[in-house]
Amino acid sequence: MRLRRILVPAQMTGRELVRRRFALGLLTALPLAFYGASATHNNSAVSTGGIAMAFSIAGASIFVALTARPVDQRLVLVGYRPYELLLARLLLLELFGIAIAGVFSIVMVFGTAPQHPWLLAAGVGLVALASVPFGLAVGALAPRELEGVLVLIGVVGVQLTLQPTQIIAKILPFWGSQQLLQRSVDNVSSTGIAFPAGLAYAAAMFVAAAFVMHRRAPLVRAAQAA
Amino acid sequence: MTLPLPVERRRSPLAAVPDRPRARQLEASGISKSYGQRLVLDDVSLSVGAGEAVAIIGENGAGKSTLLRICAGLIRPDQGHVSVSGRVGFCPQEPGLFDLLSADEHLSLFAPALGLSREQALRDGHRLLGEFSFPIDEGTQCRRLSGGARQKVNLALALLGGACVLLLDEPYQGFDHGAYVSFWEHVARWTGEGLGVVIVTHLLEDAAHVDRVVEMAIPRQQGAKRA
Repeated sequence: MRLRRILVPAQMTGRELVRRRFALGLLTALPLAFYGASATHNNSAVSTGGIAMAFSIAGASIFVALTARPVDQRLVLVGYRPYELLLARLLLLELFGIAIAGVFSIVMVFGTAPQHPWLLAAGVGLVALASVPFGLAVGALAPRELEGVLVLIGVVGVQLTLQPTQIIAKILPFWGSQQLLQRSVDNVSSTGIAFPAGLAYAAAMFVAAAFVMHRRAPLVRAAQAA
Repeated sequence: MTLPLPVERRRSPLAAVPDRPRARQLEASGISKSYGQRLVLDDVSLSVGAGEAVAIIGENGAGKSTLLRICAGLIRPDQGHVSVSGRVGFCPQEPGLFDLLSADEHLSLFAPALGLSREQALRDGHRLLGEFSFPIDEGTQCRRLSGGARQKVNLALALLGGACVLLLDEPYQGFDHGAYVSFWEHVARWTGEGLGVVIVTHLLEDAAHVDRVVEMAIPRQQGAKRA
């Protein structure tokens, strides 16, 4: 019964997402375009394409969070707990993200032939893992879609333009992924704390989204849910 | 009942009848709320008994919807206290629906939170939608529904799972005349079953259908006396 309170909202989020086929197509094409544009003349194409994948996954997460916001209070009022709704979206969007990451890893492994394909896959997977809580947090905090998308473009755009060694790059959410992706092709970059850093950032973003959702939740919930 | 300049009227059949003791379903007292510098509610109280229908009327900006949302527990008041004796069924003014989900999918989504199986939620939801003459297939996405049909889904979701008090914010927006008449027949039935019903409305003719009408006025800013 408890699991149903997460699986049903996840299922409905999935149906909503699938019905936005055109938007999903554009979101998926975007990182492919970044990768394709830089693949032939730039040895950081893997890093560029992988990080640009955050546009797709975090973008989808922002839209899911903002679309659900007017309904969320009502759902909590009838008995859902805010964390159940958040976990449902996290679950569904991570599945979506991992699917995209899988396809994207294959494309880049065959397109670039990196020295360490598994590091490439790990870097792309970490982008997927971190993008969802990042998008959910931005979606929870942004007043409207425009502001949310601008934050996304700003953060991912800055991360794309910076070298991983720069201090600002290290405080942005996809630095760990950037390190892994870079290492997969150059054999030089350090991967020491890359994965834990990415996971820690993802966890922090999830906590931020949960905090905001909890703050917005109705003061009372249905008695039968208690 | 104490509201800013409350004008309480009783519908004619009950006007001469002394107050019957009713179990309190909802009690809000001393509610104040400001948005920034703007005072929206100033020491407002509202109580609704079992089987009682109350209409809240007032000009735009008088705080009707804010009061209802505070009573539903959706907004925290700056001051005051709300107690409800059971589950609240809340129908917001703007249908809180997912555009790309159908009525059936909304019923399925609400089911686990209400402790209902999917089948039971669909059965009860279809019955409610049928009572409101929901015009089309329950599988149609909400974005393709008319305003009135969306409002019927909104209302059915407020009623799903049962409630002891219904808070309805202009619940018949977009209804045709038949659905509007039918809505008030339902209100009479709900109150007959012991539910407390609070309806925010702009239509003065609605006063004929309720036990009490509460008129709210825009509160003056703190420090100024009310007219």
